[in-house]
Amino acid sequence: MDASSYRPAVVIDNGTGYTKMGFSGNVEPCFIVPTTVAVNDSFVNQPRTSNKSSNWLTQYNAGVMADLDFFIGDEALARSKSSSTYSLNYPIKNGQVENWDAMERFWQHCIFNYLRCDPEDHHFLLTESPLTPPESREYTGEIMFETFNVPGLYIAVQPVLALAAGYTTSKCEMTGVVVDVGDGGTHVVPVAEGYVIGSSIKSIPISGKDVTLFVQQLMRERGENVPPEDSFEVARQVKEMYCYTSSDIVKEYNKHDKEPSKYIKQWRGIKPKTGAPYSCDIGYERFLGPEVFFNPEIYNSDYTTPLPAVIDKCIQSAPIDTRRALYKNIVLSGGSTMFKDFHRRLQRDIKKIVDARVLASEARLTGGMKSQPVEVNVVSHPIQRYAVWFGGSVLASTPEFFGACHTKAEYEEYGASICRTNPVFKGMY
Amino acid sequence: MILLQSHSKYLLQLLTNRLQNLDKGVELDCQWIEFDDVRFNVQTSMKNPLILLLSVSLPTPPPGAMFVGGLPSGSIEAIKAAYGTVVKMLDPPKDGYNLTLRLNFSKLSPDEETRQALLMKVASVREVVLGAPLRVILKHLASRSLAPDMDQLVALVHRPNEAFFLIPQTEKVTVIYPMRFKDSTDTCLATSFLQEFVEARRSASAGLNNAPSCLWSPSPPEELAGVPAEALSANAGFVSFVIFPRHVDSKKIDRTVWLLSTFHAYVSYHVKCSEGFMHTRMRRRVESLIEALDRAKSDPEKTKKVGTKTSFKRLSLKDSRSNSNSKASASWR
Repeated sequence: MDASSYRPAVVIDNGTGYTKMGFSGNVEPCFIVPTTVAVNDSFVNQPRTSNKSSNWLTQYNAGVMADLDFFIGDEALARSKSSSTYSLNYPIKNGQVENWDAMERFWQHCIFNYLRCDPEDHHFLLTESPLTPPESREYTGEIMFETFNVPGLYIAVQPVLALAAGYTTSKCEMTGVVVDVGDGGTHVVPVAEGYVIGSSIKSIPISGKDVTLFVQQLMRERGENVPPEDSFEVARQVKEMYCYTSSDIVKEYNKHDKEPSKYIKQWRGIKPKTGAPYSCDIGYERFLGPEVFFNPEIYNSDYTTPLPAVIDKCIQSAPIDTRRALYKNIVLSGGSTMFKDFHRRLQRDIKKIVDARVLASEARLTGGMKSQPVEVNVVSHPIQRYAVWFGGSVLASTPEFFGACHTKAEYEEYGASICRTNPVFKGMY
Repeated sequence: MILLQSHSKYLLQLLTNRLQNLDKGVELDCQWIEFDDVRFNVQTSMKNPLILLLSVSLPTPPPGAMFVGGLPSGSIEAIKAAYGTVVKMLDPPKDGYNLTLRLNFSKLSPDEETRQALLMKVASVREVVLGAPLRVILKHLASRSLAPDMDQLVALVHRPNEAFFLIPQTEKVTVIYPMRFKDSTDTCLATSFLQEFVEARRSASAGLNNAPSCLWSPSPPEELAGVPAEALSANAGFVSFVIFPRHVDSKKIDRTVWLLSTFHAYVSYHVKCSEGFMHTRMRRRVESLIEALDRAKSDPEKTKKVGTKTSFKRLSLKDSRSNSNSKASASWR
């Protein structure tokens, strides 16, 4: 115990799309790998034999111990493409662990193959989405303590960590709204004093993937010369490299039409099948892609509430005494909030909604009372892409972290139920 | 993955990344720890993008291990032989570390393949440094000679305050590991794993005839007669390998050194894997039992099941009302 508390803790942030892992006290995670496991099918469908030694021999003669024969991350993707013996498995769906077998294997490889650390030497900080049921925390605790013998475990809530990531740069603020736009989903989560206000969490069915799909659709409709099997990948890279947020679509269209040479970019690539080079133009999709969040009706007709309105609704549903503080600290997290000027646009739009409401209520109250103006502030920082991991790294490097962890001794005394609650500790303030 | 790789994945990733972006300087200072308490620290600066400082700290040696100036004996020569002019050792090393290497990217050879090979070698720095004394002994075995000024019994550090033992002879080297585990379950698993391990070597059908012969015993073997008792307190018994010259010819020596110096990590990794495997089996068993139970249920119970799946204990409306009423009335009185 004492020996492990001077070693940095291991921080693993398991997201739906990507897992970030590394050691606390560092600025960047060591590895960012897709959360996927490629399992050897012959192991899963192994016939049950009663004779133990013959089973061992058949396994041995097959050349591998099949239960060790699996890959995670990019290796898994490559393996499943090149051979049919492996099948891909995504253990996390919509932020919840679905397949615990695969998850245990995933962690096994994370710890032993990627980080190469001895889990008995380090405290662990894992993350979960705010909607995770306590049972799944128990499962996590069981795997961590029973399989890996970790000396201490803390399971933190992702948005709280995203808030903690911001607090090092300014002051220690643990109240705020976290706008988490990932590849698989968008959540707006209000946090007050380090505790998530569960009833006010709002989710939007528009995420980073939809931006990519929209860019792909625009390019296809304009008839750009992109090979169809490559178009999704090209669209993703266009999104990551060239997209930005505009302040006004109409003005932006005018700008593009006036000076096409300045705004229209070129994309060059090589066709994967023939090897022939090709090039295509990137035009309006540069600003239309991120616009999906602000005017969803241009992308689909099912869901038409813009992101700023959702954030406003979320804050309005939170307890009244926290609302001003929540408006003051709206924190962005996740890769799809990285578009240039995304925070400016968000701040302007929310401010507009809030001001309109204040004006309306002043007009209603004719007593000439003036309310204090509401301060709206959208915070953006350079490490947004893995803000959750960074927050975990910061928290796990404070001395209070080790006191807040559930220890192996506690687990053995009380059982897995101790993992249900994870106290907000002093380092968070 | 059955064997641990000798290079550190993260270090290799860092190095390749630096090599690809040599023109751009990056302020970098990161540290991480690998198994057996080997610490790494990498520093680069904006000012001089061609220089990378790599510091390594090694596990604390137990008394009696061969350590010269904080490093295993022979490691300085090993570093020089492995890296040549690209890497310079800094003296004194960074505070809190045993060794600091100064990597100069401008001195890398232009040839892509040798570059990659060298980066790989740098990434396996722990093999080079920690395995140095072992390598010296095995080299002598390969040439069937004895190293001068070597004792009958050599202790080499492989874990913090723990050592394994070598008995070098001209024809063979005996390697003995006292196996220790913290957790009682781990100890049991490791003991049976090691017995099975020895068994696997013995069974001729597996085609392991050329592998070093291997023994497991619960008590210290007699070769370790002169060793102080505290170095011999092992709760999972003792494993010994006999290494012959054919195991250490020039092609195999790197691999042999790595496998021998990380044998404990290998066993502990497999213990963890078997625990995971057992959990998988247990989970599957529970699922099949639950299925059987579900089949046995009558229909009205099945429909009820859906409602109780939530994690919270639900009070019916009547319950909660009577609860609050009684509380309220209690406070009024």
